[in-house]
Amino acid sequence: MLCTPFEHTISRRHFLGTAGALAAGGLGGIFSARAAEALKAGNKQVLFVWLDGGMSQLESWDPKPNTLFGGPFRSIPTSVPGTHVSELMPHCAKQMHRLCLVRSLCTKDRDHSSGVARIQRGDPKNRGVPYPFFGSAIAYLLGPTSSNLPPYVVLKEGRGGFRAEDAGFLGPTFGSLAFGDGKPPEDLLRNASLTEAEDQERNALREVFNRRYAQARRPSLTEASTHAFDTAQELMRRSDIFDTSRLPEKDKERYGRSEIGLHMLIARNMLEAGVRFVKVASFGWDTHGDNFNAHASLVPKFDRAFAAILEDLAASGLLQRTLVVAMSEFGRTPRINGHAGRDHWPDAWSIAMAGCGVRAGCVVGATDKLGVSVESTAHDIGSVFHTWYHALGIDSLSHEYKHKGQPLPLAHEEMTPIKEALT
Amino acid sequence: MKAPSGFRRPLLCLLALPLVFSATLSERKAHAMEAATPKSAPVVSDLPAFIDAQIAAKAALAGVPLAPPAEDAEFLRRVWLDLAGTIPSATETRAFLADKAQGKRAALIDKLIQSKEFARRMGEALHIQLMERSGDDPKWLAFLTEAIEQDRPWNEVVRDILAPDFKDEKKSAAAYFVTKRLDKVGSQQTDYPGLTRDIGRMFLGVDLQCGQCHNHLTVADYKQLEFNGLFMAVQNLKLNEPKGELKTKWLSEGLLESKYEFTSVLSGAKSQTGPRVPFGAEIAIPELKGDDAWLVAPDKKAKTDGVPKFSPMRSVAETLTAPENSHFARNIANRLWWQFMGRGLVDPLDLHHSGNPASHPELLERLGTDMKARGFDLRWMVRQLVASETYQRSGRLPHGSAQPEESLFAVALEKPVCAEQFMRSFLRAAGEWERVGEGSSWEGLTDKRHLLKDVQTGFKNAFANAPKEPELRANPSLRGALFLRNNDTVLWALQPRTGNLLERISRISEPAEVAAELFLSVFCRLPEKDEQADLLALLKASADKTKTLSQVLWAMTASMEFFTNH
Repeated sequence: MLCTPFEHTISRRHFLGTAGALAAGGLGGIFSARAAEALKAGNKQVLFVWLDGGMSQLESWDPKPNTLFGGPFRSIPTSVPGTHVSELMPHCAKQMHRLCLVRSLCTKDRDHSSGVARIQRGDPKNRGVPYPFFGSAIAYLLGPTSSNLPPYVVLKEGRGGFRAEDAGFLGPTFGSLAFGDGKPPEDLLRNASLTEAEDQERNALREVFNRRYAQARRPSLTEASTHAFDTAQELMRRSDIFDTSRLPEKDKERYGRSEIGLHMLIARNMLEAGVRFVKVASFGWDTHGDNFNAHASLVPKFDRAFAAILEDLAASGLLQRTLVVAMSEFGRTPRINGHAGRDHWPDAWSIAMAGCGVRAGCVVGATDKLGVSVESTAHDIGSVFHTWYHALGIDSLSHEYKHKGQPLPLAHEEMTPIKEALT
Repeated sequence: MKAPSGFRRPLLCLLALPLVFSATLSERKAHAMEAATPKSAPVVSDLPAFIDAQIAAKAALAGVPLAPPAEDAEFLRRVWLDLAGTIPSATETRAFLADKAQGKRAALIDKLIQSKEFARRMGEALHIQLMERSGDDPKWLAFLTEAIEQDRPWNEVVRDILAPDFKDEKKSAAAYFVTKRLDKVGSQQTDYPGLTRDIGRMFLGVDLQCGQCHNHLTVADYKQLEFNGLFMAVQNLKLNEPKGELKTKWLSEGLLESKYEFTSVLSGAKSQTGPRVPFGAEIAIPELKGDDAWLVAPDKKAKTDGVPKFSPMRSVAETLTAPENSHFARNIANRLWWQFMGRGLVDPLDLHHSGNPASHPELLERLGTDMKARGFDLRWMVRQLVASETYQRSGRLPHGSAQPEESLFAVALEKPVCAEQFMRSFLRAAGEWERVGEGSSWEGLTDKRHLLKDVQTGFKNAFANAPKEPELRANPSLRGALFLRNNDTVLWALQPRTGNLLERISRISEPAEVAAELFLSVFCRLPEKDEQADLLALLKASADKTKTLSQVLWAMTASMEFFTNH
């Protein structure tokens, strides 16, 4: 265990004590040019699709049909002439002109335990502090949008709740708010015993008491309370975006009647409602056994949902200012093991991106014939983080976090963005 | 660790620590005698006056005026929350405000500090501080609570915590700190560096974690050696699953024969150390050969590990908690000060070092010395703190004054109300404590029964920090706001029901009396004139008096005046 955020933090309670810090400019001191960055990044948003366990690149973005390790599936042409993907992705194939595939990822982590966190934290080496997950970093760097909705929301299977540890050294304020099984957080809906008007009346009364209390006291605590209640109010007001019963049947059909389909559809609504960063997490991709049947079941669900949201974001114009990413913690081994499975393979794998700042309809890098190693320039996770920051208009090469007086880079300082992937 | 306790005494002599040991033993005897008569004996100490003189001197030097003494109501709510873990009832508040006796504050402190509620509150506060919401265990909580009830010396308690006796079922509950903190985190099966760090943080006030790999970059006192001497003893522990008579996870120790070697990742320099309490002397590893090294030899057939004669962790526990260890005494003094005054004299609490001196160094020194002289009697120290003018100062400034530095303690600081205190206070304010907390008065009601443990879980989910996040400050959160706004239990408590607050005040016809009862019950004070006028205007305009009162009641319990201890 390395040094944790806390002994390197000047004042953790600064974060702890101030839910209000999320309000504009609240923590300006730590990131020197945060306000300027936010201005530059404007109303950018992020959709981050996390395929936990490791999607096989060979059964998705980088098929190698008719080769030693290629497996049973064919490849199909896409809307970009010359680019092929696995036949398990017919819908994404039609969206290829919006996508940018990077087929030359070569990362370091071979286990889930280190990979899941390391890949999502971008984790510059030997810094001695846990880096924030991408969502927390964006919540911190860009804050909530003008919608006042929580800036970093996760849609996942299983339990929901507040996850402070995502935020690493930034402190728990920048953690995620997870919606388990697409369900809203506890106590989100206005209690049945209250009308909207009554709820407003009593809330106004609460503010009257707070204002009186804050007289002759330090204002920060009361401000933090006001911020928490305002955010709660905004979430309650927009509780429709979590109400799956209201989703049109046609959309449910298009996104696919699967968990990832439903979550992706809610994600679309959240992005439209103004959530800064939405993460959709899908589990069960760790196919050490029966890889091909598993992917034949999993990939089409992802394919449908991912293609549908790309189409909808493009149609609404949101794609122009939304960075879209789909990835895992690593790819899977070309070699097929004795259980007809594929194991962990960080040496040569792929991610898909789309949206703001990303060059549409391109493929960056290539693997060799068997898909065993990267033939072009290999890209580690640090380059990918730089690429994302640049796509969002954040100059990650020159800006730093300031943490206990210690400057910390936004991403690996010895790496640079993948230029070919950016507009 | 499994050694019968009788063995350890001669063993310690082997370790060339007879002085430490005999001092501890004689002190223990002394405390045992004191413990027989402490509660009723009047406390004569100049410590409160010393505290006030120190605080006043520094404030004067900074040219900062001290806030006036807290009014009775302000003091009453504060001292109840701090000593009993709940706000007082309206009846208690009325009686205290009406009491004209000179010594009523001291009498109240006496009453509260000797109550069962004090032990409950202190046990809970220690639990939250030590475990940082990593988990709950009723036996562990009972161990801490009983330690307070019985006025056990804190250093003895910590010794039980660090080197638990698993043969004694009661004492084995003390092991929760070590076993839980050692238990796996993420993919790691055991977290030795984490436990090492937390022992330093909790019991010495130093966060040595950087020292695992290198000397601290900015804190000169925190050398790699300080971490690794302690780490060595911690790493020698083995966490075992429950087995036979041992019903909980338990610890055993390996045979330690040589020093531990460590390398700085920065300079590459190699060093070595034996077991060692940070900033103390190295503990010699006894030269015991072959069977001599074992109390119970390992048995390959039976697959038992054996019990070595030398227990590094017990030696560390003895040395760390010895009265001579001023780091230990200052740490507990500083943590108590934080608990009752809202900020540590050394801040952050786990960053004691020469480059980060106490705001009032002489005062901290004195508190540490008195801790030791009084045999680490926590109740005694708490009594001194709350008796001081510094504790009993107002939290409000006269209009127009600038906010002074917190570290001057010129104004009483706001303190967090933990989830448990909040729940009890909320139920008490709403007039539902008897029903939910004590299970009475349900007869004749058709309501679903709300059980204390369920309600407590709800409040904890809403207001406790995430695991391993210390609760040092009031922390309004989105989760808490949603809970207060929409949770069924919260809104249930604020509906009129036989005997509860809303039902009581709905029956009062005189509006001024309604206002008084409402404010006394929730804010533990009478309403100001304008507050009373506002409430009367609201009621006058209201078509449904009970509904309006329910809204006001909710607004009060959801406000910052209720959410903090001020």
